[in-house]
Amino acid sequence: MYTKHISPLGAAFGPRLSRRTLLAGAPAAAAGFFVANARAEDARIVIITSFPEELTTRYEREFERLHPEYHVQFVWKQSRDAFAELSKPEQGGADVYWAPALGNFPALREIGAFRPLPPADRAALPGKPGAQQLSDPAGFYETYDVAGYGVVANTDLLKVRGLAEPKSWRDLALPAYSAELVMPAPAKVGFAPALYDIILQGEGWEAGWALLSEMAVGAQLLAQGALPTGLVREGKATLALTIDFFAVSARANGAPVTMIYPQRTAFLPAHIAITAGTKRFEAAKAFVDYALSRDGQKLMMERDSGRHPARPDVYADAPPALVDPFKLSPEISFAYDQEVGRRRPGLVVLLFDLLIVEKRDDAVALWRSLRAAEARAVNDKSKAALARARRLAGFTPVSATDSVDPGFLDRFTDRDARDASLLEHWRVQIAAARAEALAIVKSLW
Amino acid sequence: MKRLAIAAAALAVAGAAQAASLTEAFTQPFDALAPRYAEAFRRGGGLFRQAWVIGPSVDHPDETGLGPLYNRLSCIACHVKNGRGAAPDSENGVPRDMVVRLSVPGRDAHGGPPPHPAYGGQFNSEGVPGVDGEGRVTIGYDSVEVELSGGERIELRRPHLSFRHLAYGPLGEETKTSLRNAPPVFGLGLLDAVSESEILSGVADGRGRANYVWDVESGKSVLGRFGLKANQPSLRQQVAGAFVEDIGITSDLFPHESCTATQSACLASAGHENKPELTHAQLDAVVDYIRALSPPPRRDTDNPGIKQGEALFAQLACDACHRPTLRIGRFDPASALSGAEIHPYTDLLLHDMGEGLADGRDDFDAGPRDWRTAPLWGLGLAGKGGDGANFLHDGRARTLAEAILWHGGDARAAADAFRALAKDERNALLAFLQSL
Repeated sequence: MYTKHISPLGAAFGPRLSRRTLLAGAPAAAAGFFVANARAEDARIVIITSFPEELTTRYEREFERLHPEYHVQFVWKQSRDAFAELSKPEQGGADVYWAPALGNFPALREIGAFRPLPPADRAALPGKPGAQQLSDPAGFYETYDVAGYGVVANTDLLKVRGLAEPKSWRDLALPAYSAELVMPAPAKVGFAPALYDIILQGEGWEAGWALLSEMAVGAQLLAQGALPTGLVREGKATLALTIDFFAVSARANGAPVTMIYPQRTAFLPAHIAITAGTKRFEAAKAFVDYALSRDGQKLMMERDSGRHPARPDVYADAPPALVDPFKLSPEISFAYDQEVGRRRPGLVVLLFDLLIVEKRDDAVALWRSLRAAEARAVNDKSKAALARARRLAGFTPVSATDSVDPGFLDRFTDRDARDASLLEHWRVQIAAARAEALAIVKSLW
Repeated sequence: MKRLAIAAAALAVAGAAQAASLTEAFTQPFDALAPRYAEAFRRGGGLFRQAWVIGPSVDHPDETGLGPLYNRLSCIACHVKNGRGAAPDSENGVPRDMVVRLSVPGRDAHGGPPPHPAYGGQFNSEGVPGVDGEGRVTIGYDSVEVELSGGERIELRRPHLSFRHLAYGPLGEETKTSLRNAPPVFGLGLLDAVSESEILSGVADGRGRANYVWDVESGKSVLGRFGLKANQPSLRQQVAGAFVEDIGITSDLFPHESCTATQSACLASAGHENKPELTHAQLDAVVDYIRALSPPPRRDTDNPGIKQGEALFAQLACDACHRPTLRIGRFDPASALSGAEIHPYTDLLLHDMGEGLADGRDDFDAGPRDWRTAPLWGLGLAGKGGDGANFLHDGRARTLAEAILWHGGDARAAADAFRALAKDERNALLAFLQSL
C-alpha cells in the first residue's frame, strides 16, 4: 500500500482556519492519493443498453451507492448492434440487456440468450395498459418502462393557427393539420417504425398506408428523432409525430408543448433481461431488481427523462407532465400485436420510402388534385369514381394478408439485403396505381 | 457610444436564453445564428449528446471508435445540460463527471506535463471488452471549518483521491494527480473571440499571467485561454483533446489513441480502428455547436441588494481577476455581436490561488498553485437544470461562499475581506453572484 504525505492544510488560510475533522484515510495533499488493493476481484457488471447516457448515469450512480461492491459498465448499442453482440457465445460477455428494443427480446429469448428471471420483487409487475401485454409470459424478460406514441403540439401555435388539438390519427391528414406537421423518417429514426406500425395496426394495413400518404402531403420529413419535438418546442413547427418522452421532458423543462395521445395509439415496453452467459449472476440480478424497484422506477420520471414506469404503483409520485398510461380511457389504446410489430420494422421502413419519400412531389400533387376534385364533386357517379381514385392514391403493393405473415415479413429484416427486382416491381405497381388515380381525377375536370 | 455597444450586446446575448426556462438556460443558441451555425447547432448538438459505440456498427457507423480506454461514452455525460459536473458525495465517492489528470515530474518536448509512463495523461477507469480499464478512483473529503465575522462558521471540504483495482501496476510515488470537474460549455465561443491583445492587457496591468501552451495545429507555442489552467490554445484543441482523453475518440488533431507503451491490449485494440474516428466535419460541428451556445442573461439587475453586492465585488477587488468586461473581435456565429463587450467575469489569465487550491502540478507556464480565473457568468443558474452546482476546479465547493473562502494566494486579500464583511454585506455579494 502506498500513501503520500500530508500537506499543510491550514497554511493557506492563516490562523482563523481550523482543521476539525478528517473523514477518512489520509488528508489531501496536492498530489496525494491512496492506492488500495492492487488488483481485486472484478466486480464489474456489463450492461448493454440504448438508453441515453444521462439516464443510465443516474442508475449507475444510485445503484453503486446501494451496492458499492459493483462497478457498472454500460456498452451502448442500438437494436441491430445489440442483437449481433448478444447473439455471440456467452452474449459477448454482457450480463444484462436493458433497452427499448421490442423485437430483440423475444428473438434473443428464442436463441437462448437469456436465463429466466427470478420472481423477486415483481409483485407489482407487469402493469397492463389497456389490452397491451407488456412482459414476457415465459419469464425471460421483464418490462422496465412503457413509451407512448402520438403528437407533440406547440400550444401557443395551435392558438395562433386557430386549431383544436387533434384527437385521432385521421385528423392529421386534414390539410390544416398536415401543413403544420413534422414526421420522422423511419429509415433514420429509431422509434419511427414502431410509431408508423401503431398507426398501421390501429387503422388497418391498407387504410393506414393511405392515411400516412395523405398525412405526409403538407408535412416536413426529418431524419433525426429528437428534431421533430425540437422544432415544436422552438415554435418552428406546430405539430410533430413522436415518441412521448421527448415531449414530456420538453414540457417539464418549461416549453409550451403538450403531448397528445390520439385514439388508437399504444404504449410499447422497453425490457430488461439477464443473459444466459453471465458469470456475475448475483450482480446482474441486483441491477435488475434495482431497475424494477420503486426507487429505480421513480428515477425515469425525472424532468430530463420523462419516461413512464412499468410499475403502476409509482404513479402517485408522477410529475404533472406525465400521464398514467394505466388509467387512460379505453378508446385511447388498442391491443397492439407485438408479435407482428416486432417483425415489421424492415417492411415498414421500405414501404415508407417507396410510398412517401420517393417521388414525393408526384404524390403530393396527386393528393391535392384529388382533394380539389372531391370538393367539386356533386353527383354520385363522380363521388364513386373519386372514391376509387382515393383508394388508388393510397395504394400499397403489399396485401394485408402478407403484412402479418411471419415468413413474408422476415424477408425484409435485413435492410441492406433488399430484393432489387421486387422493389422495382412494387415501384411499377405504385406508379400505375397513381397514374390511374390521376387519370380519374383529370377525367372529372 | 460605448454604452450603446454594451446595451446592444447584452440584448443580443440575452435574447435566446431569455425565453428559455431556467432548466434550459445553458442549452440556448444565440439569436439570429448564421446558417452554418444553425445547422451545426443541430448536428453538433446531436454529436455532443451521442453515446459513442464500439465498432463496427450497423446502427451508428459514423459514431464508432469508443476507447479502447475511456471515462464516459458521451460529452453530455459530464457536461450535464451543458453545465458543470457534480462532485460525488462522500458516501458514493465515484467521480463520474470529473477526470483525474496524471503526470510525472519534468516537462515534455513542448513544455507540457509529461504523461504517466503506464497510465498516460489521464486516468481512464473504463476499457472496451478485452482491455482492462485502468482501475477505480474514488474521492473522500477532509473537513475543515472557517469562522466568519459575526461568528458564523462554515464547513469546507477538501477532496482526496483513492485508487483501487489498478490494472497496470502501481502509480508510483512521483506521480502527480489533478482532479478536474467538468466545466460549463456555454459562452466559450465569445471567449474564443476575445483578442490576444485584450487578454494580454491584463498582463500589462500586472493583474495576471499568461500561459503559453503548445498548439498542435500550428506547431507553435501560443497563448492559452481554455482549460482550467489556460492550458489549451483554442476551442478546437480543447474539444479534440476531450474527445481523445475522455471518450477515446481520435481526430485530425489527436490521431493516436491514448494507450501507453505498456498497455498492450489497448494498443492491439486501437490497431483495429480506422483513423480518425471523429471526422474533420464532425469535429467542426461540435466546435461550432459550442461556439453557438449563448451564456444566460443576468437577472434582477435592478435589485438594490444585488447592486450593493456588485459594488462590494469591486470594493473587495474581486474584479481585479474576475474582469467584468472584455471586448470581442469578429464573431461569426452571430455577426451582430462582432466587436461587442461581453461580461464573463474572467481575465482568462493565471493567478496564484494559494496552497489550499494547489494541485502541485505544472502545466506549461502554469505553476502548481496557478489556476485560470473561472468565468462567473451563469453562476446563479448552476444546478437548476440537473447539472452540477459544485464549484472550483475539483468541485469541492458546495456553495459560492465556500468557493470564495477557498481563495488564497493572489486572491487571499479578497477572501479575507469577504470573511470580514458583515453578514448582510456577504449576502449582498452572494446575491450579486447569483444574478450572473
